[in-house]
Amino acid sequence: MTGATMEARGITCRFAGFVALDSVDITLRPGSISGLIGPNGAGKSTLINALSGAIAPSAGSVSLDGHDVTRMSIVERKRRGLSRSFQKTNIFPDLTLRTQLAVATRAATVKNMDEVAEGLALTELLDVPARDISYGDQRRLDLALALIGRPKVLLLDEPAAGLTAAESRDLARTIKSLVQRWNVTVLLVEHDMEVVFSICEQLYVLHLGKLLTHGDPQTVRANKDVITAYLGSSADEGGDE
Amino acid sequence: MSAEPMNPSATRRDWTITMPVALLLLAAALASGMAVPMMIASSLLLSLALQAIIEAIFATSVGILIKQNGRISFGQAGFYGAAAYIAALVVERELASPELAIVLALVIPTALAFVLGLLIVKIPGIAFAMVTLAIGQALYEVAYKWRPVTNGDDGLAFSLPDTVFFLDSDIFLSPASMFIVCWCVFVLILFGYAWLSKSPFGQLTEAIRDNPERAQFIGYSITLPRALIYAFAAFVAACAGVLFSLYNGFVSPSIAHWSFSGAGLIMAIIGGPRLIWGPALGAIVYFWIKEVAGDYSDAWPAFVGAILIAVTLLIPSGFGGLLVSLFDRVRRR
Amino acid sequence: MLIQVLNGIVYGGLLYLMAVGLVLIFGLREIGNFAHGALFMVGAYVAYTFSGSYWLGAIFAFLILAAMGVVLDAGVFRPLRRQDHMITILVTFGILLVLEAGVTLVFGKDIRSVPAPALLSGTVNLGGSLFPAYRLFVIAVSFSVAIGLSLWLRYTRTGLYVRAACVDPTTTAVQGVDTDRLSLLVVGLGAALAGLAGAVAAPLVAVSPSMGAFIVIESFIVVVIGGLGSFGGAFVAAMLIGQIHNFGVIYIPWAATTFPFLLMMGVLIWRPTGFAGRRI
Repeated sequence: MTGATMEARGITCRFAGFVALDSVDITLRPGSISGLIGPNGAGKSTLINALSGAIAPSAGSVSLDGHDVTRMSIVERKRRGLSRSFQKTNIFPDLTLRTQLAVATRAATVKNMDEVAEGLALTELLDVPARDISYGDQRRLDLALALIGRPKVLLLDEPAAGLTAAESRDLARTIKSLVQRWNVTVLLVEHDMEVVFSICEQLYVLHLGKLLTHGDPQTVRANKDVITAYLGSSADEGGDE
Repeated sequence: MSAEPMNPSATRRDWTITMPVALLLLAAALASGMAVPMMIASSLLLSLALQAIIEAIFATSVGILIKQNGRISFGQAGFYGAAAYIAALVVERELASPELAIVLALVIPTALAFVLGLLIVKIPGIAFAMVTLAIGQALYEVAYKWRPVTNGDDGLAFSLPDTVFFLDSDIFLSPASMFIVCWCVFVLILFGYAWLSKSPFGQLTEAIRDNPERAQFIGYSITLPRALIYAFAAFVAACAGVLFSLYNGFVSPSIAHWSFSGAGLIMAIIGGPRLIWGPALGAIVYFWIKEVAGDYSDAWPAFVGAILIAVTLLIPSGFGGLLVSLFDRVRRR
Repeated sequence: MLIQVLNGIVYGGLLYLMAVGLVLIFGLREIGNFAHGALFMVGAYVAYTFSGSYWLGAIFAFLILAAMGVVLDAGVFRPLRRQDHMITILVTFGILLVLEAGVTLVFGKDIRSVPAPALLSGTVNLGGSLFPAYRLFVIAVSFSVAIGLSLWLRYTRTGLYVRAACVDPTTTAVQGVDTDRLSLLVVGLGAALAGLAGAVAAPLVAVSPSMGAFIVIESFIVVVIGGLGSFGGAFVAAMLIGQIHNFGVIYIPWAATTFPFLLMMGVLIWRPTGFAGRRI
């Protein structure tokens, strides 16, 4: 299964007068790995929510493989091959890993539960309830649930959130190998620049709801506006860069 | 996501039972029920026992919603009463054969619950509980106020014709035989519930219970499964209602009152709602408390209320859960 | 006709007092207070205890229930605030049972009656029809509370905090508002209003330990219809349900509770979750 194209045109999200996203355009080519970065409050999670169907944008359109999915529900988008993981771990706490991965697999066309469990080093923990595993394992479980069924488009919302440097590197490597093997289209939101630069082919930079720039990592890194945006809010970042 | 106290490690020990073993257990369970009247001669005891079983079935209905949907319902008595009344009315007015009466008494509340379920399962937990309370009371009010049909507060008495389902209808009236009937229904319901719980559908509903948002993201629509569970719970309550109706030959609005729903909820919580047999155990404990404490004071509900709070906060897996962990500890020695 | 509408407003007013309490408590603590009907009942019994002097009874009902509300918030709601909703439902339900049983122990199960104060025991001539003065008083009380509450919410700083906390408790706490202190006030107020409703209703209804049930269910319906976070909505819904209930009782008695229930189901079909912009 090859990755699909995902396009967002003019995505605008307004919440009671506050403009979280302002006319954002994103194009994800099949099999590409793109990063979405930006200072805190830039609107990254909002964009992921809009793309995944969690919220309806105030304006703009989203399309998957040429089909307009803007009006489609979360479930409909999932069935068309869109999948996402969560910044704030979003798993099924009382179910064992085996059970929840099995439930996810039953809804998928590609039954790749073993592949995913192995790839994310969860095989030993399959019969443990999710609430009893470590935070790092839970992050990987969150990701695993998104990988079941070999999605065509994968939206990853800070998969390394709260992980140690070593864990993050591990995760980045795992994501890269799985994603390249399946040729999935990926949009990765991350604060951890090491992860971003090790996986992403192109970057989108969001700042205060607007798309600042996009391009390959080296160019973006050197872009003056990007540096200013980050430096300007480096107090929030806590020296992330 | 649910917090710790309500969610014990019931999933850790997964009993995988093969079909032939399950059927053997079922047969054994049914048979053991048949042995009871042979050992107990007292009609009074058998009568109390079968009433406890009916309440155990009712409590299970409440437990199903808690375990599979993670929801509390204050309205199960409405379905229980509706079933009892439908059976009574159809027989009393001779609208149809007693067999059809029983079928209607089971089908109508279940169908009603399904339709309501489609509307109300989307409502978040607290408001859902309020809505179920309103549903139960609405049904109660119909029984209470629709005098021309239900006889209102005076209640409705009826007698069964000679045969029901090719059996002598006396079996529903004598404690010994009715005990066996109730026991068999009870065992079949518990086995059916256990089977459902372990099935892919049961696992799906528990996933939706744990995290409805993520369930959608992994590709499941979350309204239909929850509505089906609500309907199944109503079906179980209806079974209890029909048994009550057949045995007593008399129905009155109080059986649909929300206080009975409340009692069922207490039974499920005390026994342990995350266990299949937990609510049934709770029903027996509750029955016993009511008999014993009721002799001492009119304020025994305070005792029950205190136990409810204590169990909720301190023994979240209920007395059933305690038994299970005791059993586990003994096994490990 | 006017009399019937007024009676509907009387009942609606009581529903409003109850509903506001539920909205306040839910707004701040995200807890559905299943003991609210019992608080109403206790208020009525306080009025009964002060049968000789009604006004004292009403005041004490307000104060005692306010104190109970504070204890409830500090002792139950606050420790349980991050728990699963099921736990708070069960605990408040347990409290309801304990309160009912406690009152039964002290006063017994028999129905009591509370006389209206001498000052209001007459009737008023309204365009040819006679209407009990006490019922006008009940209307005055509920309307005063409605006006007072909306003024308070709109024009005082505490009121602003309450409104903010009702809409978004987490952010409000982050802004430095002491939500715990605010909750004590709000839950105390909510409980006090329930007690006041009970004291005010006492001369109109049969006072018994289980009297809370009949009003709390319709109060829940009012809250669901009016919107779980909306005070204005609670008022409108309460007046509406009051009229429907009253007309139902007169013309189609067997459907008196069914109509509000059907209305609730209708509203739920139309707007299944999160009324008045409130994410539950």
